[in-house]
Formats: sequence, structure tokens, C-alpha cells
Amino acid sequence: MLSRNLFKSIAAGAIVLGMGFSLAYAAADDQIKARQAEMKANGKAIGALAAIMKGEAPYDAAAVKASLDAMTAADAAAAEAKAWDASSMEGATVETWAKPEIWAEGSDIGAKYQAWVDARAALAATTDEAGFKAAFPALGAACQSCHESFRRPKG
Amino acid sequence: MLGFTAFWLLSAPRPLPASAIPAHNGNIANGEILYTAGGCRNCHKPNAEPAGLDPNLPSGGFPLKTPIGVLYPPNLTPDIQTGIGNWSDLDFVNAVQRGISKSGQHLIPAFPYTSYAAMPVEDVLDIKAYLMSLPPVASPGREADLPIAFLLRRGLGLWKFLGLDTTPWQPDGSQTATWNRGSYLVNGPGHCGECHTPRNLIMARDNSRFMMGGPHPEGQGKVPSLHGLIETGRYKDQKDLVLALQNGEVFGYENMSSGGMGQVQANMAKLPQADVEAIAEYLISLK
Repeated sequence: MLSRNLFKSIAAGAIVLGMGFSLAYAAADDQIKARQAEMKANGKAIGALAAIMKGEAPYDAAAVKASLDAMTAADAAAAEAKAWDASSMEGATVETWAKPEIWAEGSDIGAKYQAWVDARAALAATTDEAGFKAAFPALGAACQSCHESFRRPKG
Repeated sequence: MLGFTAFWLLSAPRPLPASAIPAHNGNIANGEILYTAGGCRNCHKPNAEPAGLDPNLPSGGFPLKTPIGVLYPPNLTPDIQTGIGNWSDLDFVNAVQRGISKSGQHLIPAFPYTSYAAMPVEDVLDIKAYLMSLPPVASPGREADLPIAFLLRRGLGLWKFLGLDTTPWQPDGSQTATWNRGSYLVNGPGHCGECHTPRNLIMARDNSRFMMGGPHPEGQGKVPSLHGLIETGRYKDQKDLVLALQNGEVFGYENMSSGGMGQVQANMAKLPQADVEAIAEYLISLK
């Protein structure tokens, strides 16, 4: 035999809880999409640099800078969207290929992220083709190192 | 009782006889190439603990997680007590090509003897010669963590009737020598099909879907199909695929690191140029 007020309180509570859940679902999906957008931008940027490395495109300092700037922007956008928070794995409805090991104890993703940052800085400091070709492999190696440990195979 | 006797008899290991091993001077250089193509070290490497073991030597012990339990690949260095130091050629070939251990037990086919079975025995002996040339490392083996291990191992004797094809690899006379080299490397030591060919209900390779990809055998994610690599636009041409195999994600090629492919790609990078080109020539012919 519920009083009217108690019933209203329970109903209100249920609505707020429901809204909270749906907000949480949306938040995780947005974080995952932001993460995937960052990866897509990184892939496009390194593609342009790889073309120079392979001799398919001429060395061009401006093009190198543009690619590195694109990666910096992608990095910053993802950070702002909290794309790499553990909360991105809770209640998501979008598929992700990030492995939960990223956020496990002892995970070295921090070091792997730093390797990418360092590689970008080293490449940005180069001024000619020889310097570029010497510094470039470390950049892709940073992508590779993280993917090897923390990306589920996409097929 | 009758059923068990039948099971016992049918599942008995059927090792090769001594007469199957030819007189052969092991070619260490060839053995090293096949060892690299075979990726032996990637499973037979040491565990992080105990520290101090050279990660470049196949002294074994690294935990291999499989859908049926955790396995600990054995020590392949020529240590007498803990490695293959006193293994005969016959012992080695029976392990690598028939999945039968020196003590006569069936080996779990996470060890891809189901691909190595297709290799000519001389190539397997070359791999043994290469292993015997490595420095011996004392690293004792460890029992696999398997449920009902005794029955499971014995049961493999039945599985092998369906899952182990011992037909030797044969060249295709209508193809170039380089295509055939690629075909041999992929189907034999490279054992690419062990991941890239989907498996059926009893976890044997479904050869009707050869190299068509599917769920990753380790349980997470998917393995891509290797058919139509150029037709689907994944690679521009053979040269592009060669660069992908040799450089992987360092050159921005996608999906060359996850799910164990990173280790495969690292091995590809060490193979002779002609072999990587041969592998690419074969793979792009899969439509």
C-alpha cells in the first residue's frame, strides 16, 4: 500500500536512473568513436609519410610538417574527448578493437604512448630527407608496438 | 570395456619408422631460413621469469594460451637434460611432422605439425641441424595445464585421422618456380593456414575455406581472408605486399601487428628478399 509521494519518488528515481544509464551508454560510444577517429587520422597522416619513405612521393618538408601537425591535432582531440579513459569500455554499444588490457594493472600503455610522442618530436626536428628517413621508422614502430599488445585483430 | 579398448587401439600414436629418415647432412643455413619462416622462436621463446634467459634462443617455457588450456612449449636448444640434445633425427621428425613426442605421447596441435607434415623430411632435418648449432640452455620443461590431459592427449590419436593430413607438399607444374617457392613457404614452414584458414567443429582446418579467414584461434577478434588481396584493394600490387610483409606498420600498413601478426611480420623481415617476393607472388594468386 504505497503512499502517493513514495510512489512519485520511486518513479522519479527510476527515470533519473534510466536517464543516467542512457547517458552513460552514449558517453562510452562517443569516447570510442573519438578514439577510432584519432586512429583513422593517424593512419592517414602516416600514410603520407610512408609514401615519402618508399619513394612514391617526393620529400617535402612542408608535407612532413602537415602530417605531424595532423597527428598532434588528433592526439589533442582524443584527449579532450576522454577517448582513452577506462570509462569508454563501460556500457558501450559501438564495437571497439581496444583490448581491456590497456587499463589493466601493470599496463605499459603510458610508455608506448610516450614513444609515439617522442617519435613525432624527433621527426619534427629533422630538416632534410636523410634526417627524415633516419627518424621515420621509429614513428611506425610506435604504432606497431601498441597495436601488437593492445589491439584486437580486426580481420 | 570394449569401447575403451577400441578407443585405445584406434588412438595409438603411429610414428614414422626409422626407415623414413634418409641419410642427410644437415644444411644449417637452410635450417635457419626455415626456422625463421616457421616462427619457431615465437612460441618456443623463454618466459620472462626466470630472468636472465636469452629471449632470442628457443629455450621454451613461454605460456601459450589456447582455447583448451595453457601450454608450455619445450626447450629446443641442444641441452642434453632439458632440451633436444639427445633427440635422434627420428625423434625430431616424429614430433615436427606427426605430432608425437619423444616419450610417445600425442602433441597438442597448437604446435602446427599439421602444416609441417607437408615438408620434405630433409628440410626438417636442416632445421634440426640449425637448432643443434645453437648454444645449449638449461631450462626444464613444464607440464601443460590441460583438463583431463591424459584422455585429451590420447584422444588426439582419433582427431589426427581427420585433422592431420600427411600428404607431402607438391609443386604445381603450371606455375613459376618462384610461385612454387611461395606456395611451399606458406603451406609448409610458414603454416599461415593455421590462423588464416577457419576451423570446423573439431577444430581441424576447414580446407574448403583455405585461407579465407574467420574467428581468431586465440579467441579474440578476427583473422582476415588472404583471397583477392589486390582485387579488394588491400594492396596495390606484389611490390606493395612485399613492403607490407617486410615493414608492417612501420610503413603504415594496417593490421600487421595484432593477434600475433606482428611476430610473423618481424620474421618475414628477416627472410631473404627472394623468399618474401615468392610468398607475395603466391598470396596474390589466391582469388
